[in-house]
Amino acid sequence: MNVALALLWKDLLCEWRSRDRVVAMIVFSILVVVVFQFAWPDRSDEQTLALAPGVLWVIYLFAALLGIGRTFTAELENDAMTALALAPGTRGWIFAGKAAASLVLIGGVQALTAAVFALFFRVDLAPAIGALALVVGLADVAICSVGTLFSAMSVRSRFREVLLPVLLIPSLIPVLAAAVQASAAVIGGEKLTLAAVQPLIVIAGIYAVLGFLLFDPVLDD
Amino acid sequence: MSRLRLSGSGVEKRFGRITALHGIDFEIAPGESVAILGANGAGKSTWLRLLAGLAKPSAGRFVAEGSEGGGPAAPLSRERLRGRIGYVGHATLLHAELSARENLDFAARLHDRRPTRAEQDALFAELGLAEFAERRVGALSRGTAQRVSIARSLVHDPDLLLLDEPFTGLDEISAERLSHQLARLRRQGRALVVVTHDPQRAVELADRALLLHRGRLQEPGPFEAAALRDRLLQLAREDVAGARA
Amino acid sequence: MTGRPSSAGIPGAVTRGLGWALALLLPVYGWIVYQAPIDSVQGIMQKILYVHPPLAYGAYLGFVVTAIAGGLFLWRGAERHDQLAVAGAEVGTLFCTLMLVTGPIWARGAWGPGNWWVWDARLTLTLLLWFVYLAYLLLRSFTEGDERTARFASIYGIVGVVLIPLNYWIIDLVGGRAQHPENIERGSLGEGMGMPFLLGNLTLFFAFAYLLALRWETAILQSLADAAGDGPADHR
Repeated sequence: MNVALALLWKDLLCEWRSRDRVVAMIVFSILVVVVFQFAWPDRSDEQTLALAPGVLWVIYLFAALLGIGRTFTAELENDAMTALALAPGTRGWIFAGKAAASLVLIGGVQALTAAVFALFFRVDLAPAIGALALVVGLADVAICSVGTLFSAMSVRSRFREVLLPVLLIPSLIPVLAAAVQASAAVIGGEKLTLAAVQPLIVIAGIYAVLGFLLFDPVLDD
Repeated sequence: MSRLRLSGSGVEKRFGRITALHGIDFEIAPGESVAILGANGAGKSTWLRLLAGLAKPSAGRFVAEGSEGGGPAAPLSRERLRGRIGYVGHATLLHAELSARENLDFAARLHDRRPTRAEQDALFAELGLAEFAERRVGALSRGTAQRVSIARSLVHDPDLLLLDEPFTGLDEISAERLSHQLARLRRQGRALVVVTHDPQRAVELADRALLLHRGRLQEPGPFEAAALRDRLLQLAREDVAGARA
Repeated sequence: MTGRPSSAGIPGAVTRGLGWALALLLPVYGWIVYQAPIDSVQGIMQKILYVHPPLAYGAYLGFVVTAIAGGLFLWRGAERHDQLAVAGAEVGTLFCTLMLVTGPIWARGAWGPGNWWVWDARLTLTLLLWFVYLAYLLLRSFTEGDERTARFASIYGIVGVVLIPLNYWIIDLVGGRAQHPENIERGSLGEGMGMPFLLGNLTLFFAFAYLLALRWETAILQSLADAAGDGPADHR
């Protein structure tokens, strides 16, 4: 547990000094928001509202891929990955720390993206903000869990930029399906029910447990 | 004194078609300092990473025994073994973005330790790093970074220090300085396992040598720099002769 | 800790037995399908029934084999378990691909022109399974070092097999269009269609088992050959 907190602190400190992951994700996300304007130039406010959950989740998914792909690249320099592998005890906590750091970074970028989206297209997300944050947060737990697990594998493979999305996207389809449905309901003004977030809770739980348990052999030579 | 005993029988490590270690038998007694000597590509680093608990053998048995909390010696799991050794690799294992002190702090926390500032300073002073503690590691010279790496490996007070070619990339003065510091650590009762291709360093830092040639253990002969150098050359010549035949 | 690569997979007699059973079943199966009555609504197209659903066995079983063998590899570290995992994935990919190819042909025939592809729940699931297979095989070919490849692939295999029920559940929940008949029970089949359908299931199951055994054996022999060809010059 302390190991996870140490990693979270270290990753956030390193990111604060280099800012390479967050900047890449923010620039990408805002560019796609702009692209959206030109992909559907003539649309009514109702159409914008209807498209909002889908567009937001496409941006979230690919921005997350961008960020998660770099989870372990910093560890390759000076072979810091070996330092992680040398930590005694359960390596699941290393997984947890890495996933938590990604969650913080990706969550921050998503919040900013939603704000920019709302501002550009006059979509009022304010009433749904709490419920939306819960939905996105749960989905992020799932995304960062499998993402951290697969990223640790792909970073030590050839063609890692290609391999990560191929590994990750099939496992993110159920997350995306559940998250889009829940987000659409929330943005459409419905009250968030337990039934709507239940799939996300189940997936996030399963992925987090799988990542925690399966991470140990990933760090071996 | 170190309370770790490392032993192996028939330890083999394969990477696909390549076999790095061909069934070696060895025993490293508690408190003993050992040099793993051999030419490039002999399998030395692979062996050291097995000893560090970073990999499993493809075949054979590797056992680490140690006592925990004053009890009798018992086999240790890889998880526990990793907590008892310090490892210095080819690379420094450090984060360039962080200062030396932050790196040390992070390494300690990975071992679930929180050394006080005074303890950190003592460790820095011992390795001649006092003036570099707050500097960003990315801005340090290779020799200094190497010493920070050693400080990092000592932060959890390991029984045994494993070093993989620690003199690589250092100029003569830095290498000499490092050798003195390692010798002092050894005098203080820290056991070392040093991987090196240099018989002189082996004699300086160890009680005996294990000679590895093409993934197999060889009889090292007398433990003197000149004799070990001759032995290494002899093995290399046999290879050339074997290749011609 | 593993031993030397050994041929300790399955006895050759089992593989040969499966081969003989398949050799006997195939002509009977072909004949019976040929003899089966032609559907009054769908015509000859309906005969895909005797191929398409039975392929599902292989498609799903393949990944179950891969995941179980992968789990065994992580637990015991024996190379032969990883070789079984590869066999499961490759044979499973074959069955899954055939399912994806025969599906649209039937779909267009049964659901009308333009219906080559429908985002029907089961179709979507099969497509996702196919992508998981693809990812598994790509992971294997992009990872360096046999032992590491085996370890990474085992992990992915286990996540992959969890994905199947998870995707099934989610797709059902978010309401994909359901075009597939709920279940194909013998009772719902037309006169004279039960026997060929049963035989189709049996034959393709044997085909799966035989190919799996054969592929496993090949993988084991290949690693034996690799080990034998390990020259003294290869070291690091």
